[in-house]
Amino acid sequence: MTLSLLAELIVMPLIAFVVGLALVLMMRRVRARIERRIGPPLLQPVYDIVKLYAKRTQVSHGIMHDLAIVMLLGGITTSVCFLPVPGLEGLARQGDLLTLVYLMMVPMLGLALGVGSCANPNGSIGISRALTAMLAYDVPFVFVVIGLAVAYGTTSLPEIIAHQQSGGIATWGAAEMPLLAIAGFIAMHAMLGKEPFEIYVAPAEIATGPMAEMSGKYMGALFVMQSFQLYTIGALYVTMFLGGGENWLTFLMKLFAVVFVSVALTNVYGRYKTDKVIRFMWTWPTGIALAGLALVMMH
Amino acid sequence: MARSSELLVLPIALPIAAAFLMPVVANVQASLARWLGIAVVVAALGVAAMLAVDIAQSGPLVAALGGFAPPLGITLYADGISITLLIALLAGGLLFWAASPGDNVRSHVLMVLLMGAGSGLALSGDLFNLFVFYEITAVASYGLVAGRGSGAEAGAALRYLIVGTLGSSLALLGIALVYASTGTLNLADIARLAPERLAGVTGMAAFLLLVLGFGVKAELTPVNTWVPEVYATASARVASLLAGIVSKLAIVIVMRIVVLAFPGEQARELLLVLGIAGVVAGEFAALGSATLIQALSYSSVSQLGLVAIAFAISGTAGVAAGLALALHHALVKPAFFMLAANWRGPIDGLAGAAKATPVAAAVFVFLALSIVGVPPLPGFWAKYLLVTAALAKASPLVLLAIAVVLAAVVVEAAYMFRIAVALYGQPAPERSGPAILRGDLARATLLAAGLAVVTLTAPAVLDAIHRMAAVASDRDAYIAHVLPERGARAALSVSVGVDQRTERSIP
Amino acid sequence: MSLLDILFLGALAVALAMALLGGTRPAGVIATLSYAALLAVLALMEPLLAQSNAAIASSVKFQIIGEEIGWSMNGLGWFFALITVAAALFASWFSSGQWGAVQYDMRRQHVLLAVNVFAMLVLLSSQDLLGLFIGWELVSWASFAMMTQRGGAAARAAYRYILYALAGAMAVLAAIVIIRAHAASFNFADARMAVAALPSATKWTVVALLTAGFGVKMGLLPFHLWQAPAYSETPGASSAFLNAISARMGLYALIVTLLQVIGTDVLTNLSVQFIWLDARDIIMWLAAVTMVVATFIALMQTDARLLLTWHGIGQGGYMLLGVLIASPLGTAGGLMHVMNYGIYQAALILSVASVMHRTGTSDLDRLGGLITRMPLSYVTMLMGIIGLAGLPPMNGFVSKWMIYKSLLEGREPLLLALAFVTTLGTILSVYKLIHNIFLGQLRQEHWEIREAPLSMTVPMLLLGAICFVTGAMPGLTLQLVDRAQAAIGVPLLAHHLGGVTLATGSLNMLWVVGTMLAMMGMGAVIFYLLGGRHRAVHQYDNYAGGHFLSADLRYHFSHEFYPGLARVIGPWYRGWIVRAEASLIRLSDIIGHAWRGSFDAGITPLYVMAALVAGLLWVRSAGGLP
Repeated sequence: MTLSLLAELIVMPLIAFVVGLALVLMMRRVRARIERRIGPPLLQPVYDIVKLYAKRTQVSHGIMHDLAIVMLLGGITTSVCFLPVPGLEGLARQGDLLTLVYLMMVPMLGLALGVGSCANPNGSIGISRALTAMLAYDVPFVFVVIGLAVAYGTTSLPEIIAHQQSGGIATWGAAEMPLLAIAGFIAMHAMLGKEPFEIYVAPAEIATGPMAEMSGKYMGALFVMQSFQLYTIGALYVTMFLGGGENWLTFLMKLFAVVFVSVALTNVYGRYKTDKVIRFMWTWPTGIALAGLALVMMH
Repeated sequence: MARSSELLVLPIALPIAAAFLMPVVANVQASLARWLGIAVVVAALGVAAMLAVDIAQSGPLVAALGGFAPPLGITLYADGISITLLIALLAGGLLFWAASPGDNVRSHVLMVLLMGAGSGLALSGDLFNLFVFYEITAVASYGLVAGRGSGAEAGAALRYLIVGTLGSSLALLGIALVYASTGTLNLADIARLAPERLAGVTGMAAFLLLVLGFGVKAELTPVNTWVPEVYATASARVASLLAGIVSKLAIVIVMRIVVLAFPGEQARELLLVLGIAGVVAGEFAALGSATLIQALSYSSVSQLGLVAIAFAISGTAGVAAGLALALHHALVKPAFFMLAANWRGPIDGLAGAAKATPVAAAVFVFLALSIVGVPPLPGFWAKYLLVTAALAKASPLVLLAIAVVLAAVVVEAAYMFRIAVALYGQPAPERSGPAILRGDLARATLLAAGLAVVTLTAPAVLDAIHRMAAVASDRDAYIAHVLPERGARAALSVSVGVDQRTERSIP
Repeated sequence: MSLLDILFLGALAVALAMALLGGTRPAGVIATLSYAALLAVLALMEPLLAQSNAAIASSVKFQIIGEEIGWSMNGLGWFFALITVAAALFASWFSSGQWGAVQYDMRRQHVLLAVNVFAMLVLLSSQDLLGLFIGWELVSWASFAMMTQRGGAAARAAYRYILYALAGAMAVLAAIVIIRAHAASFNFADARMAVAALPSATKWTVVALLTAGFGVKMGLLPFHLWQAPAYSETPGASSAFLNAISARMGLYALIVTLLQVIGTDVLTNLSVQFIWLDARDIIMWLAAVTMVVATFIALMQTDARLLLTWHGIGQGGYMLLGVLIASPLGTAGGLMHVMNYGIYQAALILSVASVMHRTGTSDLDRLGGLITRMPLSYVTMLMGIIGLAGLPPMNGFVSKWMIYKSLLEGREPLLLALAFVTTLGTILSVYKLIHNIFLGQLRQEHWEIREAPLSMTVPMLLLGAICFVTGAMPGLTLQLVDRAQAAIGVPLLAHHLGGVTLATGSLNMLWVVGTMLAMMGMGAVIFYLLGGRHRAVHQYDNYAGGHFLSADLRYHFSHEFYPGLARVIGPWYRGWIVRAEASLIRLSDIIGHAWRGSFDAGITPLYVMAALVAGLLWVRSAGGLP
């Protein structure tokens, strides 16, 4: 029992890593196709990581800068362990949806601390914007999570999945609560930090913000984090609204579909201003989520 | 056991006689006159102590002067409240006056006269004598306020005189109305006849006049306009006596009139309205006061307003609350005035006082905590009694009074602690905090120590107050005491030994 | 002589000892050891409380005006007393060395701390309404004395506090007297019976008076203005004590009165027509609004101490929410949050105090980069802010999680949303705090600064460590919470060392924290062992858009840290409560002026005439004559 659980704890991050790299590849390929390029080869993400790790110039801005990377990697892999995938429940019964939501903030905090200790205002502004964006998109997301929890009467992810899988597509979250699913999708898209919500990177304004002082394997760690992020956010959405994964095939199909829609959308938008992000997030998605919540409460 | 009724006359007669002798003696030797006065007051205090023991053991004392049985002749009546006030008056006189050899003979004489007349106010059992002693008290206090006769003092005394005379004439008018309605001036007799003779419009008009008349000294609202000026200009010792004790004598007279002659609800409502107005006026006026003494004067007005509210509540509970408030104020306010005499000038200028005399500042804070009503200090119990007594009679006006009383606590704390914060503030550079006279500090500290003792013995003190209040609020018992043969319920309990707890509990 | 007597005597003895010895060098150590002894006494009480679920009575009793006042401590009071004494312990430990030596008057601080502890113990041992009120006033005035000790701005803030506190106390007194009038006793049990029988208007009055009165101390809206300035102007160690526990006395009193005396059943039966809310909902909404508003005010602060104390007000809202849900999970979460909050808030305040000790300022615009100079203070603050923000692995997460779950169980989605939003605001705010003090560019004037001495860092770090340990093993805290829950009469929450197991989603912090540590270890392996060697560079070796950085160039982003957000929510800060307060003060000034003007002997005849005319008219009409 314990041994298999330990095995799961090793396997789940690995799967997430591999799938995440594939998602990154897909993202870049989609972008390339839209721009009428061929796009990178299959192993390009791996090459990138290896290249970044092997660089000779690895600038550290103090211990916190290094520890932040550790915190970031640790945090993001921990959250993966609480996200059940087909056949692997991991720690999903030791923590719930609420735990997962807060665990997902830990890598963010790690990043923020690391960037802060770089003493570069571009980075600090980036973090300021990232946290502002978080406040913006988490408001609708909170309503979505609450709506879901009220509707299912539980915050346990395996239970939520089981409930959705009990009656085919008709009992999927997206089918039962379309409004919440829409709001949730917008919020999750914003979580990815891509256009039109990529205010905290904004290369032309703040020199890529948090990444301004990241070189070599620091950058590599951010790259890894990005791939994990694509995986966790996509998988969470699948778990919450698309019935989770009956098996690996459907799970991956759903996952790639969700992320595909998201990265495709990214390419048609410019970048909002910071206050615009807040205003948008606190009106449309929040309004939709509130309406969805009201519907749920009436049942 | 033989009662000491015949001694009742001494606290009045001795000082008044001495007051007439003193100018003569002063011609021989000035200091001798002062010592005569002191000796007489000490003697009166001794007598009062003996009376107090007697009363505590065997109930109220009645003396008929000149051998005429009441309602004829002059009646003196002493129960727990009157004897407590008497002792407070005489002890206060000694404390604030005896140790000050610097004053001239005139002020010594006036002080002794005040003692005698004040004793009369405490002990008189008929309206006319009350009026006479009230007038003597007033005259003595005008003279004392005038002091050495500086311009400000003379002005204050003159204005005090005008308001006082106005009050006296109203009181006299009221007494005349009462006499016209009942044909008697003996309080017991009036009490006996009151339900049929004084319940009507004439009676109420008389009550209005009496309250306004005696209200001058009791600092009741429309006739207390002299208060801030007099307390600010008169010497602190005179102000202490007037605010601390004489005002209590007057308000207790009002209480007696209400209990004995006007037991109806209408009179109480009138007193309640005046009390509320006093609290509101006093507290708000004190809030932005420029000087400490001004704040204390207005605070005195509001405290007497509280007492009036309490006395407006019928039954033992109200009288007990009023008595507790009155005695507490009598203990606290003189101590305040002792400090304020040294801390003159704008409040902001008091910065550094705590550094200069830490004891004085500590005493101030202690007194302020008590007057605001912080448990377990006596001031809290007094206000607590008031609120519980009032709540038992939940009429809209009483509820308003409760709200006002509670809100007043906050306002009171606002100005008291504005001053306290100033005391503990940093003085301007190159300046030290104000100094304080050793004698004044000693008196204030003594009174504060008394307050501390009361804090520790609060249960016993409150029980004693309840016993006194039970006697004072019992109209029938009063009649029975003074008019044993006519009293409707002569055999009524002398209500000293009775356990009062049952009477107190709220229905 | 019961254990409670020993506890009281002990607290008094500390006060006395500090009055005598407070000025000497070892005073801080003596105080720390004394509080440790008091903690030991409290520890001895635990088995007694656990055994019988009865209160431990003190042998001190008073008979006054026919009432008997006595004191006894039950599990609830014991739980709060534990936090109180522990907070005092850490505060005096912190001031036992260099910090205490540079204080203006450390003796007074020591004495006042002990007096505060004593007053709180008295309050926490009240067994009837009168005792509760007396303890309440004692606590109010004791903390007033503590706040006012530094004079100046502190005295002004304390003055404002005492007015609020007294107004609250008077509301409480009114409520208590009303209950007393109907119950004929101050006893909680009698009072409960009497309240149940009251007409609904009186019930509303009592509930409103009690909530407002005790809410003042918690900084419940709209009575929140006093707290932040008052707490933050108090010197560091005392401020940590006040922040950690003082405001929680309001919560204690609310639990006692609302839950024990009035009862949630009465609260939920008091409904308002047409808006589907009952009395409990209204108080919960008040708590939630306080939570959000205070947190977003904190977000806008530019002083570290003010920022933290504003958060304190907001955190109080969580506790009240949890407690009022009144389910086992909710009360456990709310009570647990009291302790957790006390721990991390004390750590945070002490960390800011040591920064102030070294730099002389807590202005968030005048600091930065101190991580290289004061790493231990940084670590403390890091642990503290993770706790305050309610993120795993710190203890704040667990209690907040329980409160969230209980709100879900109680079907209060909107309150839950407000709680979430508050947490988000907290994350923004605490990052600003740690960034502006410790991260970013180190100012030139701080180059020579050293870490605070061990007498300060050890207690701080210990608090941080407790914050972590009780986060990883919440069962430790929940065991203590059991005592309090048993005393309130709420069914106990089944828990284990790692957290709770519920059908609707469990939490096992052992796994959460264990996995985090393991994964971070793995991250460390990946980072440190793989790839090229990294080298540390000077802080000026930095990307600056082609510019070259030098010592005289400020290159730090700190002022107005969230400009985008400020642009959206800035106009929402109308400050109408501040203005209402100011208007009230001005109004009373005007009234006071008018009244003073009315004291004029010259107009007296007019007054008398008016009084006579009005009085006689009234006499006539009331006398029934035409």
